[in-house]
Amino acid sequence: MIERLGLVTTQLPTATSSAMVLLAVVMPVLLGVLGGAWRPLRGWPGLALALIPLLALLWLVQQIAVHGTQAWVLELGSLTLHWRANGLTLLLLLLTQWLVLASAVYTPAYLRVAEQALGRGAVWLWPLMGLLATSLSLIWMAADLLTLYIGLELMGLTAVGLILLPGREEALAAGMRYLLLALIGSLAFLLGVALLLGSWERLDLAGLAVVVEPSPVLWVAMALLSAGLLLKAAAFPLHAWLVPVHGSAWTPVSALHAALVIKASFFIALQLWLVLAPQAAAAAWLVGGMGAAAVVWGGLLAWRADKLKDVVAWSTVSQLGYLLIGFPLLIGTSTAVASIAWAGVWLQLLAHSLAKAAMFLAVGNLMLATGESRVSGLAGASRRFPLSLLSFGIAAISLVGLPPSAGFTAKWLLLHASLAAGQWPWLVVLAVGTLLSAAYVFRVFRYSFVEDVEREDYRPVPLRMDLVALALALASLILGLTATWPLALLAIAGGTP
Amino acid sequence: MSQAWLPLITLATSLLVAPLILLLPERAWRARAVLNLSAALLKLLLVGLMVVGLYQGREFAFGFTVVPGVEFLLRVDALGMMFAGLSSLLWLATTVYAIGYLEDSPNRKRFFAFFSLCVASTTGIALAGNFFTFLLFYELLTLSTYPLVVHRGHSAALAAGTVYLRYTLSGGLVLLLGVVALHALVGDITFGEREMLRDLGPEYHSLLIGLFLVLLLGLGVKAALVPLHGWLPRAMVAPAPVSALLHAVAVVKAGAFGIVRLVYDVYGIQLTFELGLLTLLTALSVFTILYASLRALAQQELKPRLAFSTISQVSYIVLGISLFGPFGTIAGLAHLMHQGLMKVTLFYCAGNYAEELGIHRIDELDGAGRRMPLTSLAFTVGALGMIGLPPVAGFISKWYLGIGAVQAGMSWVIAVLVASSLLNAAYFLPILHRLWFRAGPEHGKGQWPEERHLGRFETSSWLLWPTLATALFSLLAGLLAGLPFSPLDLATLVATEEYLP
Amino acid sequence: MPPLVDVLLATLPVFLAAFALLDRHLVRACSLFVLFALVVALNWWQLGFIWLALLETLLGAALTGAFLFHALGIGPARRAPPVRRSHGQDPLPLTWRRGLVHLMPVLALLGMLAAALASLPASDTSPAARWSGLVLVGLGLWVFNLKAHLLRRLLAFNITGTGIFLLLMTLVGEAGTAAGQALVITGLVVAWLGTVLGALLIRRLGALATHHESTLINDGQAS
Repeated sequence: MIERLGLVTTQLPTATSSAMVLLAVVMPVLLGVLGGAWRPLRGWPGLALALIPLLALLWLVQQIAVHGTQAWVLELGSLTLHWRANGLTLLLLLLTQWLVLASAVYTPAYLRVAEQALGRGAVWLWPLMGLLATSLSLIWMAADLLTLYIGLELMGLTAVGLILLPGREEALAAGMRYLLLALIGSLAFLLGVALLLGSWERLDLAGLAVVVEPSPVLWVAMALLSAGLLLKAAAFPLHAWLVPVHGSAWTPVSALHAALVIKASFFIALQLWLVLAPQAAAAAWLVGGMGAAAVVWGGLLAWRADKLKDVVAWSTVSQLGYLLIGFPLLIGTSTAVASIAWAGVWLQLLAHSLAKAAMFLAVGNLMLATGESRVSGLAGASRRFPLSLLSFGIAAISLVGLPPSAGFTAKWLLLHASLAAGQWPWLVVLAVGTLLSAAYVFRVFRYSFVEDVEREDYRPVPLRMDLVALALALASLILGLTATWPLALLAIAGGTP
Repeated sequence: MSQAWLPLITLATSLLVAPLILLLPERAWRARAVLNLSAALLKLLLVGLMVVGLYQGREFAFGFTVVPGVEFLLRVDALGMMFAGLSSLLWLATTVYAIGYLEDSPNRKRFFAFFSLCVASTTGIALAGNFFTFLLFYELLTLSTYPLVVHRGHSAALAAGTVYLRYTLSGGLVLLLGVVALHALVGDITFGEREMLRDLGPEYHSLLIGLFLVLLLGLGVKAALVPLHGWLPRAMVAPAPVSALLHAVAVVKAGAFGIVRLVYDVYGIQLTFELGLLTLLTALSVFTILYASLRALAQQELKPRLAFSTISQVSYIVLGISLFGPFGTIAGLAHLMHQGLMKVTLFYCAGNYAEELGIHRIDELDGAGRRMPLTSLAFTVGALGMIGLPPVAGFISKWYLGIGAVQAGMSWVIAVLVASSLLNAAYFLPILHRLWFRAGPEHGKGQWPEERHLGRFETSSWLLWPTLATALFSLLAGLLAGLPFSPLDLATLVATEEYLP
Repeated sequence: MPPLVDVLLATLPVFLAAFALLDRHLVRACSLFVLFALVVALNWWQLGFIWLALLETLLGAALTGAFLFHALGIGPARRAPPVRRSHGQDPLPLTWRRGLVHLMPVLALLGMLAAALASLPASDTSPAARWSGLVLVGLGLWVFNLKAHLLRRLLAFNITGTGIFLLLMTLVGEAGTAAGQALVITGLVVAWLGTVLGALLIRRLGALATHHESTLINDGQAS
């Protein structure tokens, strides 16, 4: 498994690829600061500039496809930091850049429409968004626990900052709660790292994978690390903070948070399990059970939710359950099963990130246009805002996992993996999750098709905002039949140059 | 090269029309009509090309890998072409009909976009070369028909839409589980490669039976097999062209077609027979035929009666394939097309009565034959065909079914056929009697519920011509059954493919 | 038998932390916290981590303290009137029953940790600091669990964090010292940033609450 994570890569980077990585990682912060200083009123300058790191990444993808994966070892005195870039890393980096780019295009118009008076919050939005992209990139690339810790903390604090920006009371209250839980999560993570460092005297993942052996220290450390990370990932039953946070934040912030921030914690958790406890099947079943509960509980509450944003937020809780089911399918299973599940998990992550971001943006558009935040306020929307609803619909197809979306292909792979592993319970969970997600999604549609309402106070949102949502939704749809592309990238695992 | 792309282009004709329609403004109805009709004609042409190519023994296939081990495959075979031909022919007719039917009503853009998507899914189902691709379009069909069912947006439509989704999404999910399980068992399941499952050996037989039942459950929802039929009568709230399409080609037929694929191209008729599953299918279809006919008798409104009639008639297809022998197969497959033609006619007629005269209940039809003679004539052709009287197409189906039953050594099925024909007669003949022989508003007795004068003829010509055309086709399919390219001929081609190695 | 200074240095933070967490008067609690941070800095000095001692003094004591007082409305720049008076006084919602119930999970965690630590080689230089770290973790988590005033929870978080830092540095051997220091420095910065954010938030929430109250009263008078 650790080969798949690209941790055994030894090939040293070329100077150009180091420069490109640096560009991709650091550029977003610089752009963010620039954005904070100038506060663009249009999307295109951001778009043009944010293309630079994306292009750098594409160059890197090409480079790595040809020459194999690369690893960086940074010596800082007696301290060594490890970074690596393999197919998975690049896939996640691309996803991050793509989503941040989309929100950067979306944001100026959103701020203009939603927050007539550009308050102080907007000054901070751009640098924080840049910082978020950078910290996420750091997390995807990190191959040692220190870098992971730094990335995780940077991301956590940035995320809290972003949530607080609207400055309304409910946002502040949700942010405070989020802050406290995030801090506690970090402490648990740090304590786990401390135990690992105390027992094995090293923090690089590749080295730890070789030296760790099952022992009480390892179990306690894993429990602490997982608890901290799953709290930050809003895994059931540690999910209660998520919905108020998403409900009160600005729409592009909610989109980024649900699509990326939560996934980062999940990514770290899965990586640590694969590195430190690749055979702990029983514990992985426990996590899988949490995932199952999340699927059902999140689905039920999304179905019952009254506000549009709450529906989307609860759906995040539910969808994260699918990812957690990846634990028992990847840990302690045969290679054949694990390789199917591996593709399934990352495709699901990709599909959900794109679809969820699209759905948040679409819902944001609908809420701005109707001036209503409740599901029932959508009556008649299908006639008046076909484009927003179309984006919502396409994103919903992927969330429910209906063909030909990426969500479907991912679900197919997960189902196949659970059948091949003989782990029947997950089959039931995936089936129930599908039905529940269909139920909450079509509940929204049902309202939008209602015809006998006459209301005139609509303010259509700028076309650009709709197009951004549509682009993300289409990406999640198209990845369904073209799943070979991300999977081919994923196959560049590393290990042998 | 062009041969590989032919199925893809056929699919694209309706798939690409959907976004184009969405881009057109709502009031550009002329451009929309031109777009719709030219796409429908083009598709019919392409399907015709493929049918001719098929008779000449050419291969058309297009495929690519989705994820390792899973293939997206479009492939032309005789069975698929039957279904594709039916759907493209009826799409053309229904497009014309829908343009007339929805004149001046709101949300036409949305309607036609999803309408195209729906036909694209049906074409995809017909052209699917493996189970994965089939599933893909099968689910897409659910999605694209939902907006059509709830099109009117009132509470009855929304409630019906919810019921519809509940049934079809659950069915789709069950089907997905079954397909994934088969996939995990033997890998990619290309239609026609029947050895795969046959070679598995007897220790797998109970598993195969279980999987067959799961798949049948998934497909049976759309095929409206009793007791999975509950959504169909409720979905009658949809506009008439939608009901026509749902019943004649799209949804119900997709289910029936799926069962045909399952029996012939996945399990193979031999294996299905050996597993004892054909008997199950026979029992299920016989029960559905009789039960739905009885329910149809009890309906007081025209469209629900037609709906129950559909449930009953679609099961003839299942009955046909469950009779182990070439004649049963031919009967089942031919009926796939015959029923489509006849039922679409009947629904057009029901729509015409509703639009022109505001008639929804059967007892309001008194004397309508005099007011709308051509529509009533078409209705009569359809109804007689359903009962199975020569020379309408329905007769051919029932005749071959009878022969097939004798051949399979199940003569009791003939009794079922007779009983069902009597029931058909019992619920259709009173309508015909009312149409032609009872005095109504046209004779100065009472008045029509809501009379409008939509066109030069008895109703708008957009509505009238498709009705007459499909009625004519159902007559011709019966009269000219012996000629090449007729439904019966295509069915025979499929059956010989199946029985002559 | 560890030398007396060690024991004293290790127990003093525990007592200070306990007083800071349980004192009903928040201003006094914050002052005690600053004192606590200073003593911890001394501990770092004693353990030989000069940089950590400096950073603890700067970030842990001075800057964190400043922001904690800011949250209470006490600061050099008195732009706004101090927040509601009730903020100054904050009796812990502590009964025997509540306290015991919330102690259970903490004890479970501590037991787990102790079991893990028992299997590790004992620290030869600073066993007392390890124990005081463990107790600080437990104490902080316990008070955090009690759902007290937000400021109190911030204090509890900082104390838990300090406990973890102490544990960490007593766990690492020669090879891991650099990595350990890097982790603690990151942790200190994060804790400080978290406290800053928290303090600003508490201040803002308090202001919004008083604003609400005054508008409510005004509305009442108007009608």
